[in-house]
This record gives sequence, C-alpha cells and structure tokens, in this order.
Amino acid sequence: MAARGHVQDPNDRRLRPIYDYLDNGNNKMAIQQADKLLKKHKDLHCAKVLKAIGLQRTGKQDEAFTLAQEVAVLEPTDDNSLQALTILYREMHRPELVTKLYEAAVRKVPTSEEYHSHLFMAYARVGEYKKMQQAGMALYKIVPKNPYYFWSVMSLVMQAISAQDEKLSQTMFLPLAERMVEKMVKEEKIEAEAEVQLYFMILERLGKYVEALEVVQGPLGEKLTSELQSRENKCMMLYRRLERWAECNALSCKLLLKNPDDWQFYILYFDSLFYLIDQSWAPPQEGAHSAEGEVHASTAQAISFMEDRIVTEEAKESKHLRGPYLARLELIRRLRERSCPEAQQLGEPLELMFQFFVKFGDKPCCITDLEIFLDLFTPDQHVQFINRLMEAVPLGAPGEDGVALPGDTRALQRHLCVTQLSRSLGQQHALNTEGKLGLIKELKAHYRHGLQFGKSCLKTELQFSDMYCLMAAHVYIDLWLETGDQNMLWQCLGLLEEGLSHSSSNAQFNFPYPLYIYMFPISSWRHLILNFKEYLLTRYAESLGQFAAASQSCNFSLRFFHSNQKDTSEYIIQAYKYGAFEKIPEFIAFRNRLNHSLHFAQARTERMLLDLFLEADTSSPLEESVKSMSLCPEEDDIPWDSLRDNRDLTVLVSWNPKDRQLNEEHKQHSLEDDTLWLRLRSLTLRLIGCVSALTHPPTSRNSEKTTENGVAAKPSSLQSLLSQLENTLNQATQFTEKQLQYPFVGPVPSRLAQALSSGCCQCQLSSLQLPLHLQELETAGLDESTELQTQISNLFKSLAVQLQDMLEKCKGDLLEVKDDQSKPQQFLLENLVYFVETVCIVLWVSNYCGSVLRPLKSSLQKKKKKKKEVSTVTPPVLSAYQEFSSSLQSLLNQALEHIKSQEISLTALKLGALSLEGQTQSEVRTFTKTAMDKVQSSYLRSLQEIGELLKKRADTLKSLKI
Amino acid sequence: MTTLRAFTCDDLFKFNNINLDPLTETYGIPFYLQYLAHWPEYFIVAEAPGGELMGYIMGKAEGSVAREEWHGHVTALSVALEFRRLGLAAKLMEMLEEISERKGGFFVDLFVRVSNQVAVKMYKQLGYSVYRTVIEYYSASNGEPDEDAYDMRKALSRDAEKKSIIPLPHPVRPEDIE
Repeated sequence: MAARGHVQDPNDRRLRPIYDYLDNGNNKMAIQQADKLLKKHKDLHCAKVLKAIGLQRTGKQDEAFTLAQEVAVLEPTDDNSLQALTILYREMHRPELVTKLYEAAVRKVPTSEEYHSHLFMAYARVGEYKKMQQAGMALYKIVPKNPYYFWSVMSLVMQAISAQDEKLSQTMFLPLAERMVEKMVKEEKIEAEAEVQLYFMILERLGKYVEALEVVQGPLGEKLTSELQSRENKCMMLYRRLERWAECNALSCKLLLKNPDDWQFYILYFDSLFYLIDQSWAPPQEGAHSAEGEVHASTAQAISFMEDRIVTEEAKESKHLRGPYLARLELIRRLRERSCPEAQQLGEPLELMFQFFVKFGDKPCCITDLEIFLDLFTPDQHVQFINRLMEAVPLGAPGEDGVALPGDTRALQRHLCVTQLSRSLGQQHALNTEGKLGLIKELKAHYRHGLQFGKSCLKTELQFSDMYCLMAAHVYIDLWLETGDQNMLWQCLGLLEEGLSHSSSNAQFNFPYPLYIYMFPISSWRHLILNFKEYLLTRYAESLGQFAAASQSCNFSLRFFHSNQKDTSEYIIQAYKYGAFEKIPEFIAFRNRLNHSLHFAQARTERMLLDLFLEADTSSPLEESVKSMSLCPEEDDIPWDSLRDNRDLTVLVSWNPKDRQLNEEHKQHSLEDDTLWLRLRSLTLRLIGCVSALTHPPTSRNSEKTTENGVAAKPSSLQSLLSQLENTLNQATQFTEKQLQYPFVGPVPSRLAQALSSGCCQCQLSSLQLPLHLQELETAGLDESTELQTQISNLFKSLAVQLQDMLEKCKGDLLEVKDDQSKPQQFLLENLVYFVETVCIVLWVSNYCGSVLRPLKSSLQKKKKKKKEVSTVTPPVLSAYQEFSSSLQSLLNQALEHIKSQEISLTALKLGALSLEGQTQSEVRTFTKTAMDKVQSSYLRSLQEIGELLKKRADTLKSLKI
Repeated sequence: MTTLRAFTCDDLFKFNNINLDPLTETYGIPFYLQYLAHWPEYFIVAEAPGGELMGYIMGKAEGSVAREEWHGHVTALSVALEFRRLGLAAKLMEMLEEISERKGGFFVDLFVRVSNQVAVKMYKQLGYSVYRTVIEYYSASNGEPDEDAYDMRKALSRDAEKKSIIPLPHPVRPEDIE
C-alpha cells in the first residue's frame, strides 16, 4: 500500500502500524491494531476500512463489506479513507463502488482536482465513457490543463467506438469530438503530441482522410516526433485510403531508398505501381510528378528500380541486405500473375534463388525466405533446384557410411537449408519406407557430426545441428503414421531424448510429440505467454488421468486470465495518463480477446469438473463443492458466439510441404472440435449442479441466499439441459464422422472422439436422465406408479450394462508386448478415465435416487407395520435400485482389480530387454530406453491417480443404502 | 527484409517463437501493457515477409534531466533463432537510440547477464561499455546462484563529454540502483 505523505497528520502516525501489517501480509495483527485504535478514536474511519481490508484478506468478505459500508455511507472526504476504500473495493472486484465513493467526495469538495481526477479514473475502470467525458470536462473547468480536456475528448471517441449504432458514432460522438479539438486548434492551444494523435484518430475514424493528411503535413504534424517515421507512416496510410497511388508510389520509393530492406514498402510500391499501370497514369505536363516526388508507373521503371537496388547492394562490401533480392522475386511473381512477359527480363527464378542461396545460404532464415517463393517453380524443376543448390554446399568426401559432411558451421547451415527446402518441396514425403530410413540415417549422421561444432556451447545455447535431429524425428513420425510401426515411434522418442541430452534448452524437442503417447513433468517446459502449453497439458494430463498435473495447469491458466481482467483496466488508465490514446481501444480489444478465449472457458469448466470428480462427496459434500464454485445450472457464462482461438500454433517448427501444412480448414475444424467438447463438458457440469440442487434442496431458512448464489435448480432447467446435451451429442457424433486429420505438427484433436467411442457420453446422459423420472415418482408415490417403476428399473438395468461395457473397453495391456515389441495403448488409459468420471456422476445421481427412495421405503414399512401385513413383494423400483447398487459395487471392484493388475504387470515389464530393431549402438539404445522408462513411469503414475480416486469413490458406496 | 513497426497487443499472441529462447524472459502481460501504455514508441517489432515475428525491442525513457541522468533504457531485446546473424538486433538498437536522441537523453543503458557473452560482445560492437556490475541482479528460480549483471551504457550526443559512461570503480547492489 502506498505510504501516505503528510507526516504532520497525527492520524497518519496512528494508522502507520496498520498499513505496515497489511503490507507485510500480517492481516490478523492489522485487524487487532485497528480494533485497538478504534477503541480510543471512534471516529477514525480509515481504521475501520483498514480493518475491513484485513478481514477481506482473511476470507471474511461479508464482514468486510458491512464494515466498509459503515464508512462509505458517511461519504468520507479524507484521503486515507478514500484510498483505503478504493483498494478494498478493487480487491472485492467491485470497482463500481469506487465511482460512488468519489461522486460523493466531489459533491462535498467540488473544487478538488484530486478527487475529480480519481472520479475520472474510477469511471475509466468500469468503462463509463459518458460519465468520463463529463468528469474530464468538470476537471478542465476547475483546472484548465490540456490533458483533462483531451481526456474528455477521448471519452467521446470511446463512446463512438463502443456505440452499437454506427450512425450515432459518425453523426454525433465523433463530430462532437472533432469540434472540441478544432476549438483548441483555433485558439492555438494544442500543446502535446498526444493531442495531435488524438485529432488524427478522430479524423481517421470519421473517414476525413484529406483533413487528416492536412493535419499530418501541416504545422501540427511537426509535433509527431516520438515514433520514428511517424509522419511518413501516417501519410502512407492515408494515401492508400485515398487511393492516391501516385503519392503512395513516390513515398514508397523514397523510403526504400532510405531503407532498402523494409518489406512493407516494397509491397506498397508494387501495389501502387500496378494500380497506376491499370489506370494508365501519366505524369503531369509540368511540375512534379506528385506531392511526394517521382512516380513509377510502368513495368520498365519498376524493373530498373529493382535492378538499381541490387546494383547498389552488390556494390557494398559487406552486410548485404536480403530485401532487394527478395523484392525482385516478388516482382517476378506479380508480373507472372498478370501474365506480363517482362517477368523474364528479371531473370529465371531458379537461377536467382540459387544466387540468393550462394549469398545467404548460411543464414538460418534462408529457408523462411526462399520457402515463400517455391511456388514460382514447376514441379519438374524441383529436383534440378535442389541439385543446383547442392553445388554451393561445401561438403567433405563421403565417409564409410556414404554420407558427406560439412567442415564448419556455415557449411552445415547451407546443407541444412537445402535439406529443409527438399522437405518443403515434398521430396522427403515421396520416398518409400526404405528411402525414408536411409534419409533418417543420413540426418542422424549430420546431427551427430554437427555436435562437434557446438562443444563450447553454453547450456542456454542450442546446438548448431539440432534441426537435423528434429527433422529426423519428423521423418520417424511420417513412417509411424504410414506404416503403424510402433518401433518408429520409440525411435522418434529416443531421438528426441538424445536431442535433449545435448541441447536441454531446445523447446522444440519437448514439443507436443511425446504428449500423444504419455504425460511428462510440466517443469521441463518453458513458459509461454499465452497458455498454449497449459492448453496442451490440460488436454493430455486430464485425459490420461494425471489429475494433479491437470489441476495445476488449469490453475495456472485461470490465474493468468483473472489477473488479465483486473490488470487491463489499470493500463487503460495509464494510457489516459500518458496520453497513449491510440492504445486505449487496442487494450480494450485485447481484454475482450482474452476474455473470449476458448482456453479460458475450457480451463474454467475443466477446473470445476476436476474439483468435483476429485473432491465432491469424498472430502466434502457435493452441494458444498457446487456452492463454493458458485456453479449455477441456469446460467451459461461461456460466450459461445464469440469464442476466440488464441493458440499460437506457429510456435511448432515444421518444414512440411504446403499441402501437408496446417491450413484454415484445420484451424476451423479444430475450433469446432474443441467447442463441441467444451459444450458437452459445460452441460455436464451444469447438470451435475442440478443433481446437487435436487439432492439438497435449499432449506427455507436460508433459501433466499442460496437462490442468490444460484444453487437452486428448477426442474425445468434439468429438462432443458438434458435435451441440450442430447442435441450436442448428436452433433458431436456427426462431427466425428467427418474424421478430418490434422497435420502432426498442428492442433491436437479434442477428447471428443475418444470419449464418444468409450461410451461415456451416452452413459452419462442416461444416468442424468434418471432424476427426471425419480421426481415424477416422488410425486406419484409407490402405490400407483407401476409403469413408472418399471421404466426406472429398466433404466437402472441399462445403466449397469452400459457401465460394464465401458469397463470392458478399458481392459487390455497399456503397454502391449507382442513379437518382442511393445506398443503403448494410451487409449485404454483414456477410457479408464472416462469410466471413472462416469462412475462419479452415476454415484451422485444414485445418491439423489437414494434420497428419494429412502422416505418412500420407510413410509411403506410404517404402513406395513400398521396394517401388520406379513411381508408382501417389495416394489420393483426399490429392488431394482438395490440391485443396481450392488452391481456398482462389483463394477468398481472389477475396475480396481484391473488397475492393480496393470500396475503389477507394468512394474514387472522390462522394456529395455525388448529387442530394439536396428539399434546396435548401445548409446542409442540408452536414449530409447530412457523414453520407454518415461512412458512406463508416466502410465504407472496415471494408474495410481486413477486407482486412488476410484478407491475413494468405492468408499462412498455404502451411503447409497436405503 | 523486414517490416519494422510498432508492437501491438495482438503481437503478444504470436511472439512465442521469439521467447522460446532460453535467455529471453517471458514477463506477465501487465509488464508488456505497462510499456505499451507509457512508452509505445519504444516497443518495436520486426516482421518477416511470411508474417513470422522476427524480434522485438522494448524500452523506456527515464531519469532526472537536472542530474543529467535522463536516458533511454533497453528493457528487452530478443531475436528469434532463425533470424539471427542478420544485424536485426543492431537495427533495433539503432532505432531505440534514435528515439532516445530525439527525447534529449544523455545516454542509453541496458542490463545483461554477465554469462551472456554473445550479447555482451554484440553490445560492445555497438559502442556500449560496462558502466558498472550489479551484484546478483538476476534471481534464479531453480536453486542455482543468482547472477550478476553488467550495466552497459552508450553516450548520446547530448553528453558530448561522455561523462555518463565513466565506469564506476566498484560493483553495486541491486537496491543501490535507481
């Protein structure tokens, strides 16, 4: 907490220790100290607020709130109380209360610049743009400082941006903002660069590009100095909008002469050139070509401009830029697209790319540069191209194994580049199995040979030849996918282990490949900023039964997203303070993008499901868990229509040919895949909430409160959620029938397909349908419900059968040993997880069934006693329920036994003893063995966690007795 | 062969390839937003023709003008592995220096791990010299010892006599630096 400045105020001195306690996290002492102080000084309001902060931080939210309100109603005007309340409200996530606080304060002290400014910021935090506009103006009237005036203008712009009605923005908010700025311009009161920026923003949004251009080029534009080339960039943008291609062209020319490596201006140069050609633009009879100088409006001029750039570049002794050479290729592409014969004048692409390779082939980016121009070739040129490039790769004489190797890192990089290009051209994919194995051998030789150049590399540096290793791993995967040969997979994992042992910082070796087979410890991954890692980990950890790891990564993601929600507002406020107006809409869009993140919704949903599966009704009752996560079955908090896929898939290195690369269709499919799965999970979660509410209906005493928390479920929501779940299941089934395969280095499939094939979705649906019928039975009673009872009994029976079927699908060896080879069957683990999840749900539902049947049974017994009847038949529903509970018991026993036997056989399995085909070198065998050991221990860990959970669940069976 | 432009929030979604580098720190989102809100002109990204992000620089202006300590500071500079050895870092540094010149800074400074020899060498080539050593500036998370930093400086034209870069005779502690 910020230290307060005024030392002379005795209250500050008195409060000091409380601040210190709070700052040090000693909330208890803070509360005590505050109590002590309040005994002596009843009216020291701030002490109360500080006590409230202490209470809030120790989890006593309600008390804290009541105490804070005691002070807030007094409408305090002392700095201490106001600031403390602001902090408290922020921690309570109630920023709207801060606005109330300062509204009162400015009412009482209308001339305070400080309070007005706090009020403005408080509005900014909650996005009340109209009130911000007024608060800014009020501030300016008290203290006529320019920033305040422009805060008000910016708030008008924000009203325009956020208005649903575009017309309102264009005819009211923006013109008003424009007039406000114009007034200042006329009075010559414009002071800061930020003010000109804002003016520019307004004109741009109004589409007044001519006026904007005048501002940028006029005296006001001289203030635009912070950003480099700010005026030029703005002019360029406006020329494009105004379609002033002559100026656009001339300015690109000028900027390219200054920096012949800036790609964006080549693009603009070409774009404008062809527009001018299409318009048959001709220079004016006299005077300059354009406001920006000379214009190129013919192919010939463009060709000579390119050639001049290259001549200039060639004349330089060192540090050649790549821009001019690549721009020449880009021009060829564009001329060819327009079928211009002049394209030939620039040269043959194959030769030009060869020359480029000669110059830049030893740079790691050479592959990225040339890759985008590979489509200039016809397919029959591919081999020729690669052969031509090999001429410029200095390699030594072939060794015993027939592989010629480079003598230094530059030669290595050149060879690597050709290899990468060859993969990009599809040449590696075209090889048969034998060819691919030969290629792997060669790549490995290059990899191991290259390690000698990196002997002095630090731990934080990568090996020069790492990419060979990764590529060989990719080829192994190609082979595995083609042939289904498990050995290829083991060798791939072994090779990645080998790579890691020499280059522990290379994240690519850790990337998702191993995840398809097993889970590995999170700590071995480098932190990425936007949750791609957590996304993958949650996906795999959970489905493979490593619940602790899954929880951990969900938590990590949620912390990230929650702090984003809080933090972004602070930076919006900062942007106002520093006049970074153009960043404000950007921050708001960023916040929305994160809030609508698919992964955020996934992490929220999976986190809650995990908590329930792991804890509910074992360590705490289901209704407690549901309540503590404020799960509300009626409420759907996922923004389905605007879910954003924020995964950064580009982080995975691949040199696959274009037709095997990740494309938009894959991305779309993956988003749909994940969304469907999320929908299923979210509906399941809400249905569990319903079951909990049914089992423990809120008692009348605190019913008001529970309803407020949303725990009370109406039967209607159960019905509607069930039919939604059914619909989604149908959609999901249709979706999985499409069976689109993702590229291996790309998005990972959701759990949908495996879940459907395990039968868990259908089984969960069946069990969740039970409560509906039980509700009916509760109303009808036992006496006149024979048909209903038969129906329920049949449901119980069918459920038992479905569960048994699911369990059968879990049976089998996780590491199947056949013909002296082992085959990981992780889908068995996944099925086991689905079985356990389903068991949890079935147990909760059964618990509810028990709670309905128990009173029915006891009233029946009472009746019997009264009538003194000698035993009659038990009503069918009661016996069916009892049968069902005992079959559950036997199912769980079977499952536990299966897990135990798997644990025993896995532990006993000596994978290293299996023959590793084709692996003679003992060192290599060690790496493969390391990979195998990792898989083995990962599976064991999964089994342990699943087994423990299942045991806990089995213990709750006795509570089902009626 | 690079597009140099202002870093925007959306770039945070795709700069992972740069930050995979073991010596590049990945900060929390607030840290980046703070820079974007306060010094947007100092946050520049380089983009390849294919759209990949190649590298970025993030900096700020700070210090007292009266005490002749107003200067540009390099907070982060990183280039993706495949775009190294192209002079991109030098280009980005040049831009940051130019911005600092315009703001009337006396010098530009930066902190670098003592062990990061590649970077230290590069900064020396760009005209930077070690002004002081900061003891245990980088805290290690995995039980390894904390690491020292070099505070490296380069004088700008406003400091014609290069007073700002005269090396301190003794190392300092992190709490002693402003």
